[in-house]
Amino acid sequence: MSENTLQYIDNNSIVHRADALSKLAWVLIVVIFTFQFQSAAARGIMLASLLILAIVFARVPLAAILRASPLIFGVALLLGIFHLLITPGETILFSFGPLTATQEGLTKGLEFFFRLAIMVMASFMLIWTTDIRELMVGLVHLGIPYRYAFAVFMALRFLPIVQQEVDAVKAAHAIRGRASSSPIRHRFRLWQRYLFTVIVNGLRKAESTALAIESRGFGAYPDRTYVKEFRWTATGILLMLLFLSLGIFLVFWERQGI
Amino acid sequence: MLLNGIIPHILGGELEGKVIVDGQDVSQSKVQNMAHSVGLLFQDPEWMFATLQVEDEVAFGPENLRQPAQEITAQVTRSLEYVGMNHLRKNLVWALSGGQIQKLGLAAVLAMAPEIIVLDEPTANLDPATTHAVHELILRLRGEGRTIILVTKDLDEFMAQADHMILLSEGCVLAQGTPRSVITEHGSIMLDLGVWLPDPTEIGLRLKQQGFLKNKSIPITVAEAVAVLQDIRFKENPPGQKEPVIGETLIHAENVQFGYTRKTKTLRGVSFDIRQGEIVAIVGQNGAGKSTLSKMLVGLLKPSSGNLTMFGRKASQWNVQDLANDVALVFQNPEHQFLCDTVHEELAYSLLAQGISDPEEVGKRVKAMLERLNITDSAETHPFSLSAGSKRRLGVATMLVGGRARLLIVDEPTYGQDRRLTERLMELINNLRAEGITVIMITHDMRLVDAYVDRAIVMANGEKIFDGPPRELFQSPDIVERASLRITALRRIVDGLRAAGTQVPGGLNIVDSFVAAVDYV
Repeated sequence: MSENTLQYIDNNSIVHRADALSKLAWVLIVVIFTFQFQSAAARGIMLASLLILAIVFARVPLAAILRASPLIFGVALLLGIFHLLITPGETILFSFGPLTATQEGLTKGLEFFFRLAIMVMASFMLIWTTDIRELMVGLVHLGIPYRYAFAVFMALRFLPIVQQEVDAVKAAHAIRGRASSSPIRHRFRLWQRYLFTVIVNGLRKAESTALAIESRGFGAYPDRTYVKEFRWTATGILLMLLFLSLGIFLVFWERQGI
Repeated sequence: MLLNGIIPHILGGELEGKVIVDGQDVSQSKVQNMAHSVGLLFQDPEWMFATLQVEDEVAFGPENLRQPAQEITAQVTRSLEYVGMNHLRKNLVWALSGGQIQKLGLAAVLAMAPEIIVLDEPTANLDPATTHAVHELILRLRGEGRTIILVTKDLDEFMAQADHMILLSEGCVLAQGTPRSVITEHGSIMLDLGVWLPDPTEIGLRLKQQGFLKNKSIPITVAEAVAVLQDIRFKENPPGQKEPVIGETLIHAENVQFGYTRKTKTLRGVSFDIRQGEIVAIVGQNGAGKSTLSKMLVGLLKPSSGNLTMFGRKASQWNVQDLANDVALVFQNPEHQFLCDTVHEELAYSLLAQGISDPEEVGKRVKAMLERLNITDSAETHPFSLSAGSKRRLGVATMLVGGRARLLIVDEPTYGQDRRLTERLMELINNLRAEGITVIMITHDMRLVDAYVDRAIVMANGEKIFDGPPRELFQSPDIVERASLRITALRRIVDGLRAAGTQVPGGLNIVDSFVAAVDYV
C-alpha cells in the first residue's frame, strides 16, 4: 500500500506521547501568533521551529514532509506570488509584461506565504502525531457532547481513505488516454471527474459507515464509557509553554528590536 | 438491515407486517437498542471502523453501551483471542490485510456479545485460503450456540453446514427449509436463477435433469458426490486438453523488482513472458504483488530494477498515454474509469483519445459496441447508474472500442457479480481472445482459473512460484498451499472418484464438460 500524506504516522516519538488537547491548543497558539507577527524574520523563525520540531522531535520522516510539501508550501507559494504581483506600490522590483512586482508586493507576498505555510504545517503536525481517538476523548473531557466531538474526527479518520480513492481514480483516468487536444481543457475535465467520483463514492460509503457505527450502539445513550481516559501530559504542556514563550519573545523582538 | 432496525428507522420505506427479533418488535425499538441483540458485519468493514487502533476498535461498541472500562478490557482481549489477533492489538487498522480486517470486524461484533450475528458477504474479496479461515470461524461460533445469519453468494462451505436456507428472488421468499430439502425441491429453479451452487450439487442436479441418479439424493459435499457418482461411466472420447498457445511474445519480464518504499519490496525478481492470444491468470494471496504487477503492465508504475519489455520496447520508454492504446486495464471498481455523463459519450471519449474524430465513424463504432454489449437502451444513461454487470462490461468496452488494444487486463472479473453476469463477461473475454486479443486476469476465483485460462502465474510474497497450465497447478498441493489457493470442488470430486477406482478422463475442468462426459450411472 502506498503511503498517505494525511494520516497518523505511528512512530511513538516524544511529540506523539504528548496529550491531544495540549497539541490542539499548541496549534491554536501557533496560528494566533502567526497573525500577530509583523516581520518576515519572525514568521520564518516560527516556520523553522515547526520544521525542527517535526523532524528532530516528532521524527516525522523527511519523505512524509516532502510528500506533503505541495500542500504545505506549494499552495502558500501560489498565494504569495499572487500577492506579489497584484499589490500596488512605489518601489518597482521588476516588470513582466503587464505584471509588476513591487517592494510592497514582496512584503505582502512573503507575509501570506508564511502565514499559510505555518498554519498548514502546524495542522499536519497534529494529524501526523495524534491518534484522533485521543483528540475526541479530550474534547469530551472538556465537556463537549461525544456525538459532536466524534463527528468532527470521523472526518479526519476518513481523510486517508478518501486520498486512496483519489489515487485510484487518477490511475484509472490516466489509462483512458486524452480525448481533447488542449491539455488545459483535459486537466479541467479530469478534475471535475475526480471530484464527482470521489464525492459520489464518499457519500455512499459515509452512509454505510453511519449505519455500521449506529448498529454498534453509537448514540444509544447520552454518554458512553471510555477504556482509555484523557490525561494531561507534562510533555504536552511543555510544548505549549515553549511555543507560547517563543511567540512572545518574537513579538517583543520585532517591536523593540531587542 | 431489517433485523437490527436500520430498516425502517434509517433507510425508511414502508414496512408491512411485523419483524420480531429476540422478543422485540423491530419497528418499535431504536437501532441502537437492537445493538444488544443483533451484531452486523458488513461486506467492506474498512468503512465500519471508527478508530485507528485494533484494540480501540473492539472496545468501541461496548463503550457505546456504557459498559465499565475494566469489563471492556477483558472483553476486548477475549474477542481478539477468539479470532486469533490479540498479538496485533496495538496495530493500526489500515495496516491490516484483507483477512485480518474481516476478523477484526468479527471481533468487534463479538465484543458486544450479541445473540444473533448477521454477516453480509463477509468473504467477497478474500483469497481462497483466507475465505476458508473466516468460514471456519463462523462455523465455530455457530457450534457455540450463536445464531448466524449469512447473506452470501458463496455456498460451497455452508451448504452442508447451514440449518436453514432461505432463497430470495426479487424481494420474495421462493423457498426455505433445510438446504437439502430446498435443493431437492427447488434445485432447478436455483440453477435457472443463476445462483452459484457448489459443484457437487450442480453436477447432481444436472445429471438428475438428464435422467441419471434416479433413486439417489443430490449430493451437497464433495464426499457425498464421490459416493453417489462412484459407479459412473464416462464416454470414450472426452474433450481434449488445451494446447499451449505459442504466439509472438508481447511482454517479456526478467528479474523485475519493485518496492513502494525503500525497505519493503512488493516484487522481488519476477520473470515471465506473455504471448499473443493467451488467457493468463495471475493468482495468489491478498498482497502477493498481483495488483502491482498489473499497474506495471499499463505503465502506471515502473520497475525499480530488472528488464521489462512490452511490445518490443523497454518499459522505461513507454508513457501511460501511449501505452493505453495497446494495453487496456479494467479496474476492480469500473466507476473509477468513467469520465463522461452518458454511456454513449464514454465510448466516444475512448475513440477520440485514439485519434478517431470523424463524427460518423465515432457514431458507427459506438453503436456497434453498444449492440455487442446489449446495452443499446442505456446509451443515454449515466454510467454510474448502470447495474453492476453493465458497469463491468462498459469498463471493458471503453478499453476496447478503439480496436487497437492488444492486451486486456481484468482485475477480479467476478467481484460483485453473480454467476450469470460472470458467464456473460467470460463469454465476452473468450470472444475477444478469438479476435486475437491477449487477456490477463487477476483473480481469486479458482473455478474461473480452471475453466477459462491457458496458463496460471502464481505469486507469493512478491515472487513467482508457479507458471504453467491450471491442471498442473492443481496437481501441486504444496504450491496451492503456499499461495493460499484452494483446489476446486470439481477437481476434488475427480480426485476422489479416481481414488475410488473410477476411470475419469482428463480435461474435465468445468461442470459442463463433466456432465457432458458422463455416459451412464
